[in-house]
Amino acid sequence: MLEFDDDTLKKKSIDELTRLFMDFINEQNLKLIEGIEYLIEEDFDNFQKNLNYVIQTTAEVQIKRRFEKKLFKSKKASFTKADRLKLFSEINNIKSIGEFLANKMLLYKVIFPDQEFKVRLEVILNSLKNISNNLSDAVKLIGTDLIKAHDICEDIKEERREMRNSEWTLLTRLWNYDMDYLSRAFAYLKDLLEGIMILADHMKNFSEYIQFLATKYLIFK
Amino acid sequence: MATEYGAIIVIALMILAIALSFSIGSNDETVAPLAAAGTIKFKFILILGGAAIAFGMIFLSEGVASLVGEKILGPGIKYTIFMLLSVLISSILWLVIGSFSGIPLSSTHSLIGSIFGVVIVYALFVGNVDPAAAFNQEKLISVVISWFISPLAGLVVTYVLYKIIAKLFLSKLKGLNQIEKSETRFAWSLLLAVFFAEIWVGANSAEALGILYAMYGTGEISLGMYYLLVVICGIFAFLGLYIAGRYVIRNLASQLTDARPSDGFIIQLSSALILMVCTVVYSVPISHSHVIVFCIIGMNLAQKKEVDYRGLGKMFVFWVLTFPIAALFAGLLYFGFISFGLY
Repeated sequence: MLEFDDDTLKKKSIDELTRLFMDFINEQNLKLIEGIEYLIEEDFDNFQKNLNYVIQTTAEVQIKRRFEKKLFKSKKASFTKADRLKLFSEINNIKSIGEFLANKMLLYKVIFPDQEFKVRLEVILNSLKNISNNLSDAVKLIGTDLIKAHDICEDIKEERREMRNSEWTLLTRLWNYDMDYLSRAFAYLKDLLEGIMILADHMKNFSEYIQFLATKYLIFK
Repeated sequence: MATEYGAIIVIALMILAIALSFSIGSNDETVAPLAAAGTIKFKFILILGGAAIAFGMIFLSEGVASLVGEKILGPGIKYTIFMLLSVLISSILWLVIGSFSGIPLSSTHSLIGSIFGVVIVYALFVGNVDPAAAFNQEKLISVVISWFISPLAGLVVTYVLYKIIAKLFLSKLKGLNQIEKSETRFAWSLLLAVFFAEIWVGANSAEALGILYAMYGTGEISLGMYYLLVVICGIFAFLGLYIAGRYVIRNLASQLTDARPSDGFIIQLSSALILMVCTVVYSVPISHSHVIVFCIIGMNLAQKKEVDYRGLGKMFVFWVLTFPIAALFAGLLYFGFISFGLY
C-alpha cells in the first residue's frame, strides 16, 4: 500500500499539498473509470482490481492531515484560509463519491445488454475522464493563473452538458428494453449511470466554485 | 456656593476626563483589521495600538485640545467648572444612548454639541452676552465644515488610492499564490498604516484633553498639572485599549477574516491622512468613526460592491441629531446647575 514520507509532506507548502492531493485523487478517478471500462469488456478481474484500489487506497488521508495541520497553524494569508480549506474538501468529496460508486459497483458483475449500450457508456466515460483531467489542471492552476483555471472550468461545464445528453439517451435505451430485462442488471446499470453522473455533477459544481474564486480574488483594471 | 464645591468638582472633572480617555481606548477599533490579518500576536497588536494612541494623545493633541478648550469660545467667554461638568455628563450620556442603539456615534460631535449648549445657556442667563458673539465664529464654522468635508475626503482618498494601487499592482496578480504573497506584504504595510492611524486617533481625541485644557484655561489647574494629566490620560487610553478594547477588537476582527489586508491598508492609510491633516493643519476635532465609515464606502464604490444606503441613512440621522441633542442635554443640565446658583 502506498504511503507518503511524512518529512517530505512537511516540507511542502499548502498549495503543493493541494496539487499533490488533486493528482492523487485524479489518479484514483482514472482508475475507477478504467475499472468501469474493464467491466464493459467483461474483464471482471481487472474491474475488481481497479475498484478495490480506489476503495483501499488511503494514502491521501496522510496528505489531508498534513494539509489541515499546516493550514490551521499558518499565520499567512488568513483571508484565503476558508477558501483553501473548502477547495481541499471539494477534492476530497470526489474521492468519497468515487469510493461510494466503487463499492456499489462491486456488488454485482453485470453483463451488458448489447454493443450499442457499451459504446454509448464508453462515450460517457470518456467525457468523465476529460472532466477529471481538466479539473485536475484547473485546481493546479489556482495558485498561478486563475484566469486559465476559470477558462478550463468553462470547458468542464460544456463537457458535463454533453454528458447529460448522452445520459438521457442511454437511460431511454435502458427503459425501453424488454420487460424481461427489468432485473438486477437494469437496476445495476441505472445505478451505474446515476453514480457516474453524480460524480460528474460534483466536478461541475466544483469547477463553478473555482470560477467563483477567480471572480473573488482577481482584480481587473 | 460654587466655590464650596469647587475642589470636589475639579477632582471629579479630572477623574471623568481620565475615565473618558479610558473609554476612548476601550472603544477604539482601529487595530481590528490588523488582528484579522493575523500578522502579529494579538497581545502585541494591543500593545502597539495602545502605545500609538497614547503617543498621539501625549505629544500631538495640543492643537485640537486648545481649540476645544479655549479657541472655540468668543472673546470674554471662559468656561466654568459647572459648564465643563455639564459638557462631560451630556457627552457621556449621549454616547451611552448611542451604544445601546447600536449606532457608532461620534464622541467629538457630542462634545462640541454639548459645549455649544452650555455656552448658549451661559451667554443668555449668566454672562449676558450676545449668543452670536459667544463663539469664535471662524473656529466654530471650521469645525462644523470639517465634519462634512472629512468623511467625504475619506471617501475620495480611499477611492482614488484603491484605483491607483489596483491599476498599478493588484490587477497584475494572476494566481492565488501570488495574491497571498502580496497580501502578506500588505499585512505588514497594514501594521504601519494602523500604527500611523492610531497615533492620529489619539492626537485628534479632543474629548478628555479639551476639557483638561479648558480647566487649565480657567486657572483651575496649572500648566504642569495639565501636562501630567495629559500623560495620565494617554496611559489610561492605552489601558482602555489593552484591557477593555480587546473584546471589541476581537469581535470585529473575527468578522474581518475574509478581508484582504490591502483593503485594510488603503482604508487605514486614507483615514490616517485625513486625521493627520485635520489635526496638524487645521487643529479641528473630527469624528474618526465617520471618516472610517466613508472610507469603507469609498472602497465599496471603487470595488463596485453594494453600499447599504438604508443603514447609512439611519446612521446619518443619528449623526445629524448628535449635535442638537447633545447641545440640548448639556444646556438643560447647565440650566439646572444655574437654578441652584451653581455657575
